[in-house]
Amino acid sequence: MTKSLSARNIVKHYGGVIALSDGNLDVRTGEVVALIGANGSGKSTMSKVINGVVVLDGGQLLLDDKPVNLSSPQAAKNMGIATVFQELSLIPQMTVAENIWLTREPMTAFGTVNRNALQEKTEQLLSLFRGTYKTELRPDDTVGSLPPDEKQLIEILKAISFNPWMIILDEATASLDSRQVQRLFELIKEWKKAEKAIVFISHRMEEIFRIADKYSVLRNGKTVGAGDMKDINNKELVKLMIEKESVFSFSRADSKNENKDKPVCMEVRNLQTDSLHGVSFCIHEGELVGIGGLRGQGQRDLLLSLFGDIPYTGEMSIFESNRKLRHPREAMKQGLALIPGDRAREGLLYIRSILENLQLPSWAQYGFPLRIGKARKDAEAVGASLNLKMAGLAEPVSSLSGGNAQKVVLGKWLMRKPRLLLLDDPTKGVDVGTKAEFYALLTRLCSEGKTILFYSSDDEELVGLCDRVLVIHDGLIRTELSGASLTKENLIAASLGASNEGAV
Amino acid sequence: MKRFTISPPVAALILAVILFLLSGFLPNSYGSDVKVALSQATNIVRLSVFLGVIAAGQTLVIISGFEGIDLSAGSIVTLTAILSYVLVKGENNMVLPALLVSLVVGAFIGLLNGAGITFLKISPFVMTLGMSGVVTGAVIIINHGNVSGKVAPIMTRLIARPISQSIPIPGAIVIWLIFGVLMWLLLERTAFGKNLFAIGVNRVASKLSGVNVTGMNLATYSLAGLLAGFGGFLVVGNTGVVLIQLGQPFLFPSIAAVAVGGTLLSGGKGSYWGSMAGAIVLTLITSLLTTMQMPDSVRRMVLGGTLLILISIYGRQQALRQ
Amino acid sequence: MVRYPAFFPLILLVLSIAINLFLQPNMFDRETLNSNMRVFLPLILLTVGQAIVLLGGGIDISVGGVVSIVNTILATRVGLDGSPERMWQFVMISLLVGALAGAINGFFIAYLRLQPIITTYATSFLYAGLALFILPNPGGGIPADIANLYRTSTPLGLPLAFYVIAILLMVWIYISSTRYGKYLFAVGGKATAAYETAVPVTWIQLSIYIISGFMAALAGIAITMLSGSGNAEIGGQMTLNSITAVVIGGNAFSGGIGGVTGPVMGAVTLSLLQNIISFAHINTWWETLAKAMIIVLALAVPGIINLVRRRRA
Repeated sequence: MTKSLSARNIVKHYGGVIALSDGNLDVRTGEVVALIGANGSGKSTMSKVINGVVVLDGGQLLLDDKPVNLSSPQAAKNMGIATVFQELSLIPQMTVAENIWLTREPMTAFGTVNRNALQEKTEQLLSLFRGTYKTELRPDDTVGSLPPDEKQLIEILKAISFNPWMIILDEATASLDSRQVQRLFELIKEWKKAEKAIVFISHRMEEIFRIADKYSVLRNGKTVGAGDMKDINNKELVKLMIEKESVFSFSRADSKNENKDKPVCMEVRNLQTDSLHGVSFCIHEGELVGIGGLRGQGQRDLLLSLFGDIPYTGEMSIFESNRKLRHPREAMKQGLALIPGDRAREGLLYIRSILENLQLPSWAQYGFPLRIGKARKDAEAVGASLNLKMAGLAEPVSSLSGGNAQKVVLGKWLMRKPRLLLLDDPTKGVDVGTKAEFYALLTRLCSEGKTILFYSSDDEELVGLCDRVLVIHDGLIRTELSGASLTKENLIAASLGASNEGAV
Repeated sequence: MKRFTISPPVAALILAVILFLLSGFLPNSYGSDVKVALSQATNIVRLSVFLGVIAAGQTLVIISGFEGIDLSAGSIVTLTAILSYVLVKGENNMVLPALLVSLVVGAFIGLLNGAGITFLKISPFVMTLGMSGVVTGAVIIINHGNVSGKVAPIMTRLIARPISQSIPIPGAIVIWLIFGVLMWLLLERTAFGKNLFAIGVNRVASKLSGVNVTGMNLATYSLAGLLAGFGGFLVVGNTGVVLIQLGQPFLFPSIAAVAVGGTLLSGGKGSYWGSMAGAIVLTLITSLLTTMQMPDSVRRMVLGGTLLILISIYGRQQALRQ
Repeated sequence: MVRYPAFFPLILLVLSIAINLFLQPNMFDRETLNSNMRVFLPLILLTVGQAIVLLGGGIDISVGGVVSIVNTILATRVGLDGSPERMWQFVMISLLVGALAGAINGFFIAYLRLQPIITTYATSFLYAGLALFILPNPGGGIPADIANLYRTSTPLGLPLAFYVIAILLMVWIYISSTRYGKYLFAVGGKATAAYETAVPVTWIQLSIYIISGFMAALAGIAITMLSGSGNAEIGGQMTLNSITAVVIGGNAFSGGIGGVTGPVMGAVTLSLLQNIISFAHINTWWETLAKAMIIVLALAVPGIINLVRRRRA
């Protein structure tokens, strides 16, 4: 019994920002469709429209060629569509069993939840991934205490528990290790045989080529291409996604070996946090060092502890003097700056003006009472140097596009002329044009003597920009790649755990 | 939902003017006598001064976000009013020390609030409500039997009377205007003010930009307490008598005033000018109700209803489904 | 997640019983026990409602106002010489009024999406004003024999309150094992995740305030039967007490953690502590301060415990 769902010409905006202007998707039972696009292309919005979480502003959804209105998550569930969300839909305070079966708990005759049945059914589901868990993962475990990969697996199991005919996997492999991904793909193959339809949203090309039958590419809110996977290759897919074959229009030709003679900018010994188990490395001035690895392996902790935002044990020396950083202010005094990973949550004050955002770390320099005129001039100068497109300094930051908003985050630190810049996935959700500007900017900063340490989930970026890359896996630096060994294949292998016990 | 293009403080002032004009139709009102109207208007503004000062601290904690509020303001007013009363004893030269004591005591109570909120993670509502009980308990201890004291002539002279014969503006209003300018300076022209708005919008981003969030929290609540203490000093200087419930009637209106003035109750945006306009609106409403001889019960219901209407306009949060 | 053990309120309860016993050795005599429990019952009822609201991720500051409204309704409409039929008639009406007051709160919070704290603070004034409007000066009351019924009932030798508490706890145990109970914890834990999982979040949020209003009405009925007379300010202090009791009882302020048993123990503990103050023969002037400090301390202790835990980790 074939079923199909089609999305035609979907339009969706959030306030003034257009997320989708012409979104299309065709899904059929027995197939895996890969929904591909760069960050900010509208992939997540598309999946939210299909599972009823957001309301569409234009276009239609067709179920078996008949128009249908998915007006709420409940409606989508009733239609047999289940989603594995990017931002997990799990309740941290409740148990694994309670979370999986929420709204469909097995009941007793008295109207209460049948705890034994609940336990059993959960065990059955958990067995699908047995052997790939790090912890014991029992049905009674509180979800909040689980590591990110297991939370993701619970989210997947929860979607399966609906026995849906269509499953949307939205970046579902982001936190999983290779064994778990392998098992998931085995399950997907079984689902195909069982006449289920799967939408696979990911930006990991290797995985897409492994598992998908069809593809559909979104770019800047529009569907620009769709077809069979066997008729296309990697290069062509990338071209559809970003209009270029590669964003790197410049080459990283010059050997950066002379940096080894430069003074040491930062040295870290045995740094430990909740997710780091003892990291040691050193960086020289003027280097552009990348941090690689699958998301959630400790990269964020590394950057935050270097900036003094989270507690850590271990030793750190910055510009040759030992420091223990307890607060970002101390890091700032040492000439450090952090461009955080989640710009909305960590980097910007959305309802405040561009001026206030740019000057937030620096007001103390403007005296009492604040010399607003001078603050404006300095802010304008920085904005100009970054090619910031804005209506005016007094406008709220929420009026800017993603790329320009990220420039404000960068600008507020560049104003302070930092010596070491820490960046957490800086080009996530940034359009292609701005990305190119960023890359040019980063390399220019390095040639001016600044040091950069940044984490990216984009392997191309790391290979194209960095002198060397430290790949973190499971809380430790497993590999260091540089020069000739810095290739995409090596990066991917290292991210999955292969190590060369590289130089530290 | 409609977007208001007039800035909230201006909207509040317009509302105040409309209410005042409407009140002209009531019996015992100014009718069409401009001179009487002017004098009544001046009186309203003078009465608003005290609510306005007490609303200043409230404005700060509400801007600081995280459901910030100060329910101990009323009891601090009562406490510092009594302390001033007792310390001054009618002596002019005791006025300054009494003022200082009021400020320090208020700041100390505010600091305790801030500590409970910041270190013990007690919600500001509950913390300040609990503290208000403690302060009231202290007031009862000081007040048992009757307190003996007197307000100094210079206080009444400065606060209740006009500045001079030629300028018929009560001293209190001048004090308030100066106070308003100082508050504006604090909020818009100091690093403290900029940081205050920042933590009100987003504490995580603020910390990652170097703001000492803990310090700001403690400072804000201490400052709010200090300002409430100042309010108590002014109130007793105006009325010359103390009561157990002296400060309590100011509490709810102080919050409503801030809301009327357009300061978001979720934090991160607002101004003291708005709270000043809000204080005038609320004082107008209260005095209108008194003129219409409405009992206290109606006053309470009207105030409650007003706040409810205001937050329905200004305070709606994100819908579950977008 | 900080799973705050219901252990803590239990220990606190045992401690307060011990101290109380010391100061009032005849505490467990039928008479004294009954006399104590009937005084504690209104707060216990109020606390149950508040506990459920907090579990669901909200808070209800207006409960004291509802208590006052119910008290004034009964005192004026039934009066000292009212008939038992009239009494039961107005008891039913009071319960409806309580539910309605809660529904109003729920409407603003669940449908208009206003913040619970400031909304229920506004309605608390509205309701308190209404109570004062109904009964501007203390007076009126309920028939003496109905009040006596409440005061002296000891079915099978145990205070009436015990049965009420037992029923409440049993109802809670049942509810917490139903789907509604799971929804409650889900919405309080993380409303957005619950919404994505197709939990009817809005309706759950509405329901917790209706429950709170209903329980507040019950508390109002109980306190009217206790005092026998009407006073519009009667509910004033009870709100903070109910919140404190819930906090002692281990429910997280943010929602999703806790239950009803802990808060009930918390309510009894708080009442016992206030009893202790009365018995310790402290100077009357110091009583208010002492009681207020108990509340602040009770609120502070969970915070202190968490602080120590965080420092240790």
